[in-house]
Amino acid sequence: MAKKIVITNEIRKLRFFANEMTQQQLAEKVGASRQTIISIEAGKYSPSLEMAFRIAEAFNVKISEVFDYEVKGS
Amino acid sequence: MSYQEKKSIISIVTGLLILAAYFTYTYTKYQSGVVIEGDLKFWATSILVFIGIGIVATIIIQIIFHILLSVAIAVQAKVKDESCDDKEIEKTIELEMVSDEMDKLIELKSSMVGFGVAGAGFMLSLVAIVFNYSPVVMLNIMFASFSIGSILEGFTQLYFYRKGINHG
Repeated sequence: MAKKIVITNEIRKLRFFANEMTQQQLAEKVGASRQTIISIEAGKYSPSLEMAFRIAEAFNVKISEVFDYEVKGS
Repeated sequence: MSYQEKKSIISIVTGLLILAAYFTYTYTKYQSGVVIEGDLKFWATSILVFIGIGIVATIIIQIIFHILLSVAIAVQAKVKDESCDDKEIEKTIELEMVSDEMDKLIELKSSMVGFGVAGAGFMLSLVAIVFNYSPVVMLNIMFASFSIGSILEGFTQLYFYRKGINHG
């Protein structure tokens, strides 16, 4: 059975360091709804690769600085 | 509560009202003795009429919901900042109602639930015929399962918006 991968992110921290960017402002930049940004931040939704790149671009960082993953289970 | 959640609740309430109206109407007619048990024409007509009412009611309720929501957003924006102009308000409304990949995924997964219930209802209606129930029972099972499928679709959407969703 495939191991479970949990995707984590640093969006909250990156928003804080980007002049305390609001979730709404980030949503506008990446073309998503605020609800989606809230879900991504809370780890309730894993975005598509395209949106993940757009989020990284919004902060002007590499995608690996925004998203990481943990392998769960044996 | 987000725009999408409100939209799902509106869809659930509309579905419930239509289903309740259908059963109230047909049950009252049946109880009053106006309709005989095997009158397929009456049941088919009632179902067709209520499908029509359902479509029209859904459209009207969605329009009213969007108007009220837009007004509420505009008022909220004006209260927050009196100097904001119409363009800014329009932009705020558009942003509130934006639909993205998560919405599409939730819509897809919840519609699978809706179709699943409708499909199961169709099978059940066939089973009812196999076990010698009247075609009226078959018609009602089919109508109820399609309606309940649509209502459950709304509940599934709400669930995914609250609990989150993953690909696969």
